[in-house]
Amino acid sequence: MDFSRRQLMQTALTLGAMQAFPGLSYAQARPLVFATFTGSWEEAHKAVLVPAFRKMTDNAQIVLDPMLSVDQIAKVTAARANPPIDVMLHDPGPALIAIADGLVEPYPVAKSAYYKDLISEAQVDTGPAPFFQVVGLTYNPEVIKTPPTSWADLWKPEYKGRVGITNLNSTLGTGFMVEIAKMHGGSEANIDPAFAAIDKLKPNLAAVAANPGALATLFQQGQIDISPGNFNAIQILKAKGVPVEFVAPKEGAIAFKTTMHIVKNSPNQELAFKLIEAALSPEVQATLMASPYLIVPTNGKVPMTGEIAKVLAKDTDELKKKFVFQDWKAINAQRSAWIERFNREIRI
Amino acid sequence: MPGGHRRASSAFLVPGPIAMATTATPKAPTAYDLKLALPLGAFLAVFFVAPLAVLFLLSLQSDPKGTSYGLSQYGNFLGDAFSLGVLGSTLLLGVKVTALSFLLGYPVAFAYTRVGARLKSLIILIVLLPLLTSVVVRTFAWIVILGRQGIINSALLSMGLISTPLKLLYTESGLVVALAQVQMPLMVLPLITAIGRIDPNLTDASAALGSGAWRTFFKVTLPLSLPGIIAGSLLTYAAAITAFITQSLVGGGQMLFMPMYLYQQASTLQNWPFAAAISIIFLVAVLAVVTLFNLLGRLSRGVASA
Amino acid sequence: MRRDWDSFSFHLAIGIVAVLALVLLVAPTAIVIIVSFTSGFSLRFPPPGYSLRWYGELWDAWQLHFAAMNSLKVAAAATGLSILLGTAAGLGIARSQRASAKMLDSLFMSPLVLPALAFGLSALMFFSALGMPVSPLTLIIGHTVVCVPYVVRNTVAALSQLDPTLLECSASLGADKVYTFRRITLPLIRPGILAGGFIAFMSSFDNVPVSLFLRDAATDMLPIRSSAIRWCACPMWCATRWRRCRSSTRRCSNAPQASGRTRSTPSAASPCR
Repeated sequence: MDFSRRQLMQTALTLGAMQAFPGLSYAQARPLVFATFTGSWEEAHKAVLVPAFRKMTDNAQIVLDPMLSVDQIAKVTAARANPPIDVMLHDPGPALIAIADGLVEPYPVAKSAYYKDLISEAQVDTGPAPFFQVVGLTYNPEVIKTPPTSWADLWKPEYKGRVGITNLNSTLGTGFMVEIAKMHGGSEANIDPAFAAIDKLKPNLAAVAANPGALATLFQQGQIDISPGNFNAIQILKAKGVPVEFVAPKEGAIAFKTTMHIVKNSPNQELAFKLIEAALSPEVQATLMASPYLIVPTNGKVPMTGEIAKVLAKDTDELKKKFVFQDWKAINAQRSAWIERFNREIRI
Repeated sequence: MPGGHRRASSAFLVPGPIAMATTATPKAPTAYDLKLALPLGAFLAVFFVAPLAVLFLLSLQSDPKGTSYGLSQYGNFLGDAFSLGVLGSTLLLGVKVTALSFLLGYPVAFAYTRVGARLKSLIILIVLLPLLTSVVVRTFAWIVILGRQGIINSALLSMGLISTPLKLLYTESGLVVALAQVQMPLMVLPLITAIGRIDPNLTDASAALGSGAWRTFFKVTLPLSLPGIIAGSLLTYAAAITAFITQSLVGGGQMLFMPMYLYQQASTLQNWPFAAAISIIFLVAVLAVVTLFNLLGRLSRGVASA
Repeated sequence: MRRDWDSFSFHLAIGIVAVLALVLLVAPTAIVIIVSFTSGFSLRFPPPGYSLRWYGELWDAWQLHFAAMNSLKVAAAATGLSILLGTAAGLGIARSQRASAKMLDSLFMSPLVLPALAFGLSALMFFSALGMPVSPLTLIIGHTVVCVPYVVRNTVAALSQLDPTLLECSASLGADKVYTFRRITLPLIRPGILAGGFIAFMSSFDNVPVSLFLRDAATDMLPIRSSAIRWCACPMWCATRWRRCRSSTRRCSNAPQASGRTRSTPSAASPCR
């Protein structure tokens, strides 16, 4: 008797859930799902990319699903046949994993109107790079009066207990390690010098953050005064009144290609292509370059202006000269060993 | 731990078993049918056990591509001193957090049973507070408290007790305190129930027989509240060792515990078979610890009724 | 005299530790509340100045409202389902001495122990193998799995407090099982169920790993939104939490009186004693 009552209540609950979420009960053509990154990326894409896409596609439905690169891969891998995401956004390391695992469609280069205009580093046929991320040094100008000029400045004795880094879970932390290796005669293939150098950095280290976002909080609370940092993230903190400055080290700022990919088995292939086209278009890239987004353009037809021209590079030629691109194929091959080694060796 | 409550109640509220014995019907009206547990059993069988089986199958793959099967992932973990160290430090972290939660939480629960209604409301509100704040902002608050220019360091500096700031953030002690704060409700709520159920006549009797407050507490109150201690410890322990976000953000990037290890392997390295093996090993290890707790509980019941 | 000192030192020690613990419990939340009134743009303590601006911003932030609505709906559905399934299961196993009841009890507790990330991923693989796309339904199911242990545990605890004599009284006075359940058992264990439901609701509301994998893109969730906000270190998030705190503490501050009543009611109202 009370069993059937419970069933009754369950049915009622299910009906209630359907009421609360229209579309729950039947499968329907779903909107394009674009997995962007969280935070400023999502804001920029919502404000600039999505309207451009809608204009291009006569108001096609699109939703953003912000999450980390690695989580996008996990989510698509777990549901390969029925991927919950149509377009992925990736840092270079995860992009190569997604490609190697067969999660992405090749980009229809022949159909693309803008692909040929991209600078050569951004032309990737598994998914082009509409954006660059730039990593350099971040410091607190209220405490550090003479701006640092080189990665090597992190080892200066006056920064004892003031330096922050992140572990190798993040693209930023990994790219930083490679640069340090290079500075000491190593390379993507030989990371040993970097580990030796980080060992010497220990007296200066105030924190090994779990992710780049945590570095921002550490800056605001005066826990650290200098660290490697992402150009865009720093500009946003600066705009919020946090005392931070970005500087490109003389060894060259690290540039990461941020690529967009059409997900294999996506039911929305055509719309996915259109979204990436919109991201490559000069209009979108020019808007995203302006304040407050300050995203480095990859389309050669977009002239560099504003803060980016001032701090990073005047044009694409200078950009190629001043930026360091890393070999992520070589990095990925050993990343697991590096992470393991970092886990074991770096204890402060 | 349910056994703890139940047996304890029948030991102390003596009418229970006696009454049950007198009503000779095989189905005493006080017992509910075990069938009532079937809907949840079925629900969890489909939506928890089946995914767990998927996870187990995954852990049997020898490599991420799934070309061959075997127990090699388990061998990799169990044959590696570092991985075992991570497991050990995670289990130990749980013990530390549980012990601290208990030491701080017991007096709160004890005080709760001895104060008036107004203070009772206030205490319960404060105890529930950690459940009401998000892990994200709570982490920020801990940086404010433990940081180099944080509240504790500023206070100690201005009192002249220290000359250079102490390193508190990103240390294991800092993490233990933060986790104890977060998980304390899970410890205090069962304790309040257990202490509140102790018959005041027993403590009165103890006092009447000449025991002091300390002696009464250790000889009567504490042993009689053991079922609550065990229930609270189990919930606190399970929650503390699986608290991924607090562990990584308050503990920092170089302190590695099992959930972070699992995340590294699954997400950053996409090594799912190893990640799956990590979760299965973790699950088994924790269940072993829980069983140990339960055994202790059974022993303690012996002590309590003696 | 010695007796007085003994009692005094005991109560002093208990009092000091209890106050210390309460301060520890309050401190992080107090900081969050203070920071939510900042006039600045970033999370900084102490704030550079105070204002209500972030509460105003919050009012305007439609996407947060949207995410909060979804979080509320999912948490409500998962809590409802957890209470339904968990209370029944608690009744079933609480007074059974059978080995199968013990096994079921371990099963009901195990979702608490498996890291949520592992559960989220394997559940997504499982749903995908069944051909079920992620949807609010998969999300509610996932949340229910991780929330139901709290309800079971608290229901079992409340039932073990329940004096069986009461049920026997009811039965001997001619009431049938359903009537006894409705009029005796349910009112007496309600505080336990509500406490479990409350913890379940809050843990669903704050769950990131399961939501990350089991939601569809259209179901934006507040905790995920909050981790997004973390990157730009926005005080608005503090404001969100505090609003929620205020409304939910009002609810839970009723709990102590309720649980106080449980203990007193049986002895006062039990005719069989």
